[in-house]
Amino acid sequence: MSTAQAPTELPSSASQDAGPLRILTDARYLAMRAIRESLRQPGVEITNIFIPLFFLAVSTGAIANFSERGFGVENYLAFQLPVAVLQAVAGSSSASGIAIVLDMERGYFDKLLLTPASRWSLIIGRVWADAVRAIFFASIMLIAALVAGSGMATGVGGAILILIIAGLFGGAYSGIGIFIAMRTGNAQAAQAGFLLFFPLLFMAPAFAPLAVFDDWLRIIATINPVTYIMEGMRGLVMEGYAWPITEGGQIVFGEDGLPKTKDPPALHWAFVSLAGFSVFTLTIASLALRARTRAD
Amino acid sequence: MSNQSPTVAERLWQELAAPAPQHDRDQGLAIEGHSLVKHFGEIKAVNGIDLRVRPGQVFGFLGQNGSGKTTTVRMLTTLLRPTAGNARVAGFDVLAQDRQVRRAIGVALQEAGLDILQTGRELLRLQSRLYNVPRGQIEDRVAHLLDVVDLTEDADRRIGGYSGGMQRRLDLASALVHSPSIIFLDEPTTGLDPVSRQNLWEYIQRLNREDGVTFFLTTQYLEEADQLCDEIAILDAGEIVQQGTPDQLKATVSADVIYVQVEGDERAQLRAVSALLPLPNVEDANWDFSEGIAVYSKSGHDTLPRVVRTLDEEGLPFSNLRLSRATLDDVFFKATGHRIEPGDPSGQTAGQTAGQSTGQQTQGGPA
Repeated sequence: MSTAQAPTELPSSASQDAGPLRILTDARYLAMRAIRESLRQPGVEITNIFIPLFFLAVSTGAIANFSERGFGVENYLAFQLPVAVLQAVAGSSSASGIAIVLDMERGYFDKLLLTPASRWSLIIGRVWADAVRAIFFASIMLIAALVAGSGMATGVGGAILILIIAGLFGGAYSGIGIFIAMRTGNAQAAQAGFLLFFPLLFMAPAFAPLAVFDDWLRIIATINPVTYIMEGMRGLVMEGYAWPITEGGQIVFGEDGLPKTKDPPALHWAFVSLAGFSVFTLTIASLALRARTRAD
Repeated sequence: MSNQSPTVAERLWQELAAPAPQHDRDQGLAIEGHSLVKHFGEIKAVNGIDLRVRPGQVFGFLGQNGSGKTTTVRMLTTLLRPTAGNARVAGFDVLAQDRQVRRAIGVALQEAGLDILQTGRELLRLQSRLYNVPRGQIEDRVAHLLDVVDLTEDADRRIGGYSGGMQRRLDLASALVHSPSIIFLDEPTTGLDPVSRQNLWEYIQRLNREDGVTFFLTTQYLEEADQLCDEIAILDAGEIVQQGTPDQLKATVSADVIYVQVEGDERAQLRAVSALLPLPNVEDANWDFSEGIAVYSKSGHDTLPRVVRTLDEEGLPFSNLRLSRATLDDVFFKATGHRIEPGDPSGQTAGQTAGQSTGQQTQGGPA
């Protein structure tokens, strides 16, 4: 160590209290760090591209030839595009849990806890980074499917909406990884965060429309939020915008109290499901963080 | 970067935020603990510790692995919630005002907590931002700290490529980004080479002398405690068994110590101790399996020939007779009944690792 002059006191602004604005500022710094982390491990991220593209290719190759005869889906690549998007996003967002466990194992999580930054900024930073990463991976899936000829019924606007949905789903799904990391502090358990996605995926109309499902599976699928998120995106790719039905300039409401659309389940259900899913995952993540940092 | 004016958000924030209450060094204690207790299930890691550290002091916690040093540091730095008792750091309650405590302190834990994917400069920059160091000062501050810990040349390399010593130095620098008034160092020189250790001691002394920074450090090294600390608390099995300045502590044992290895079994050792205790000037005598018999005397030169004569008269063969001045090692031995043996930094005891990561707090043991 050199004999450089000892540091002098910093102005009082160096130690201001935390507030909502400060939480967001700290979260942004932590999100940037998380994104930098991804950029420095391209090998890890390639899996999040390769696996969904592989499934997209083989499922389309296997089923596309009889999907129209089998269950009336003419463009099976377009039908599969939302599945690839969700799979890529869930894969990338699961990595947050593993990253947090590695931070714990290396003692860096304690270092972050020792700063005056709010505990919430630790979660928000991860969620923020995962939303950005989700948009990146969803873009790759979209571009690949469009190049392969899936088409996009709603054009650029629909593509942007799909990326927004992907970003929100990525942020929400990172709550699961954070929850597992906080509860277990175990890398293997955090890795399993991605495996949880498969029941959600297979109990949604991932490979065939809901109409051909057995009753028991259809019931499960109708309470699965992924069904609505997937169908919302699928509508944008294959059909068009599901605008609310109007009569005489007034929006028509259904018995469920929500606006009727010309082809439900529609886009608004995707956002309603996303909101519910986000509230659930981020609440359990926050509670798990609280339990861990209370450190009784 | 250093010339950038504050953003709108920062200006708004500066308007909204109340200035942080500053720790007044002239009033009150820098660190105080009252009956601090931490249990991990059945294990009593810390068992009723009282602390009073004055501003500007270098206070040392001396103890072996598993004695409760790290657990105490983690409670004082808000990482662990005490099972009972309370503590104030920089005038703030560690439970009710944890964020204010964290703003006032710098901490370098036993294991360097670093993100191996960042570069040294990026890590210090992020730390500075999280401590709300004014944006215009961050680059200068980071450059200064990198220079202080001799990492300027490696600043833009990823931390994963740093040696253990470099990582410890960077970890220490990261605890200093906000110029804290109180710094906690948990075994700061474990794993450092002798030159780095000496440099770190000098830096601690300079920060303490020139800037009045209070240090709370834990150590297993007697020499470190002796050189650096104004006051030392000897910790054993979660309790403070002796406390005072190094000189006060040394004064608790006799001026001289005579060491002698007596051949024979435990009975022979006890016989020797019983025979040596009544000698003139002898204040204490005890036997340790590895060190042999230690005879504490007010006047070693007078006692030494008497020890030889007494053992001869008792018919007890002996060897390795030596006379030395009392050290902290003798103080520690007298206070705890065993010699301090600095552990291998890479091979900690099971008890020590428990509770160190936040991931193990609820299941851990003493540290």
